[in-house]
Amino acid sequence: MRHKKLIRLVRIRKLQTFFKLCIYFVLICISFTYLEPIFRMISMALMSGKDIIDPSVEWLPKHLSINNLKVAAQVLNLKKTLFNSIWFSALLAAAQTLVSALTGFALSRFRFRFKRIWFILIILSFIIPVPLLMIPRFMLFIQAQGILGVKLIGTPIPQVLMALLGQGVNSTILILIFHNFFNMIPYSLDEAAMIDGAGQFQVFFQIAMKLSASTVLVVFLFSFVWNWNETYVSGTLVRNSIELLPAKLNIFDSVFQTYASSTRGNAQFRINEAYKMSATLISIVPLLILYAFVQKRFIEGIENTGITGE
Amino acid sequence: MKKRKTFRQRQNRYGYLFMAPWIIGFLVFTAFPFLATIYLSFTNVRQTVRGFEITFTGFGNYITAFFENVEFVPALLNFLRMIIPYTFVIVIVSFLLAYMLNKIRFARGLLRTIYFLPVIIMSGPVMYQIMDSRSSAAVEGIDTFAEFSDIFIVEMIYSYSKQAAMFLIDIFSELSIILWFTGIPIILFINGLQKINPSILEAARIDSANSWQILWKIIIPMIKPIAQVSTIFTIANLGTFSTNPVYDLIKDATEQTTDSLGMASTYAWIYSLIVLIIIGISFLIFRNRDKEGGT
Repeated sequence: MRHKKLIRLVRIRKLQTFFKLCIYFVLICISFTYLEPIFRMISMALMSGKDIIDPSVEWLPKHLSINNLKVAAQVLNLKKTLFNSIWFSALLAAAQTLVSALTGFALSRFRFRFKRIWFILIILSFIIPVPLLMIPRFMLFIQAQGILGVKLIGTPIPQVLMALLGQGVNSTILILIFHNFFNMIPYSLDEAAMIDGAGQFQVFFQIAMKLSASTVLVVFLFSFVWNWNETYVSGTLVRNSIELLPAKLNIFDSVFQTYASSTRGNAQFRINEAYKMSATLISIVPLLILYAFVQKRFIEGIENTGITGE
Repeated sequence: MKKRKTFRQRQNRYGYLFMAPWIIGFLVFTAFPFLATIYLSFTNVRQTVRGFEITFTGFGNYITAFFENVEFVPALLNFLRMIIPYTFVIVIVSFLLAYMLNKIRFARGLLRTIYFLPVIIMSGPVMYQIMDSRSSAAVEGIDTFAEFSDIFIVEMIYSYSKQAAMFLIDIFSELSIILWFTGIPIILFINGLQKINPSILEAARIDSANSWQILWKIIIPMIKPIAQVSTIFTIANLGTFSTNPVYDLIKDATEQTTDSLGMASTYAWIYSLIVLIIIGISFLIFRNRDKEGGT
């Protein structure tokens, strides 16, 4: 009797292991589908001219060469655009982090009139498609340009201003991350500080911000990445006066015509393709490096938005 | 004598003080433009040396958009054809992946990292280059249907309905692009799944429910609010993503600033209205079922 039971148990165990293996199989296959475009880029970037034309070479290049990467880097004007992209995104990210922290703090600590309505508006502002807002914003800045006599379009000022006033990329998510984190800091800490004579701003800077150093980092990184990847707003407001890496990639095709017009036909097409993929690879490498170091924080950041909490 | 403020008044004041930047920004850069675009869509805007000259044209722009411009309606239809199936596939696939990831222990962090990676690198130009390379590969001679027509199931569906087969092929050939949008929904779903109280699942198991029943009767109803958030997020994400065809039209119109800003805002408004309607519909879908459930 007992023996039979044991056999059944073993059978169930075996079945479970089998299911687990199936799950692993599916998940690993899918993760390859995720990475396929990146693998494709890497493989094309490392092919030499011969391999690209050779139809028998699908994934692994026979002769390694970094010629493609060199050409792509040259066309992208890498040194300058990389530097521009970094300071531009970092500036916007800093502005966004500050304002998200302020807003998140207000929502988590104070009871003020119409708080619910403001909260709903913060969430709604995430849904509104950006192109709907861009045209009047653009006109606004042109008008301001005329009145103030300062050049605005073509400088980072409009975007910095928008970020400082909490209307940058995905501001809503950043605010939610802060809101949720501040909710976890016990209120008695604030009270203790206030009894010792601290004002609200002191509480904010000395207590809330100091406790949330890791959250500040997460928000900054998210904002940095999103600003880096954002091309629509910066394309309208900054245009070509500051050359940013993703924007440069956008016009890569036209810039590139001058570089490879000597060869013709199908081969030419394949070579162009390789250059394009190399350029794309170059433009995402900085982000990949960043992700390699702080991937855990990114995921935790999304988990801490608290959208799943309620 | 100075009157001391009450606790509530102080809370109110400080609340607004901290919120001030966001509120100003919202009014100037979101609420005002939102209303202005609606107004501008009925006008013709001309940029002159002195500023903007706005003339009211009534429904002129809308008539141009729908009946005279050859590109707008097809672009809009293309957009709809993309966003609706994509949203379904993204939400369902990310739930399945999250469910599977939740079942395993070993290498879970690594897999999760891979699935989240696209969120970091996904930008308009990158997506454009990848899609472009695919579509030009198709032009080069690899027909997408030919690639899939060997598969028996596809043939079966094809003989039943050509459109359904083409639709499936579309989804599978774009699968890795679609998957790239699942990063954040997966994290949301995993988080939600982990929050389900294990004792509920245990109780169900004691009452001899199998995992299939547990999935449908417990997990899915409990995860529904997260599915709703994910759906809305996905639609907003796809809708504001810059590879979609309508964006180019709007952008072209915005860049020729001399006299097409009115037209551009008409495009933008129609487009946004459609996105908002889709979000509204998804909201209703989730809401109705909740009521039927009687909770």
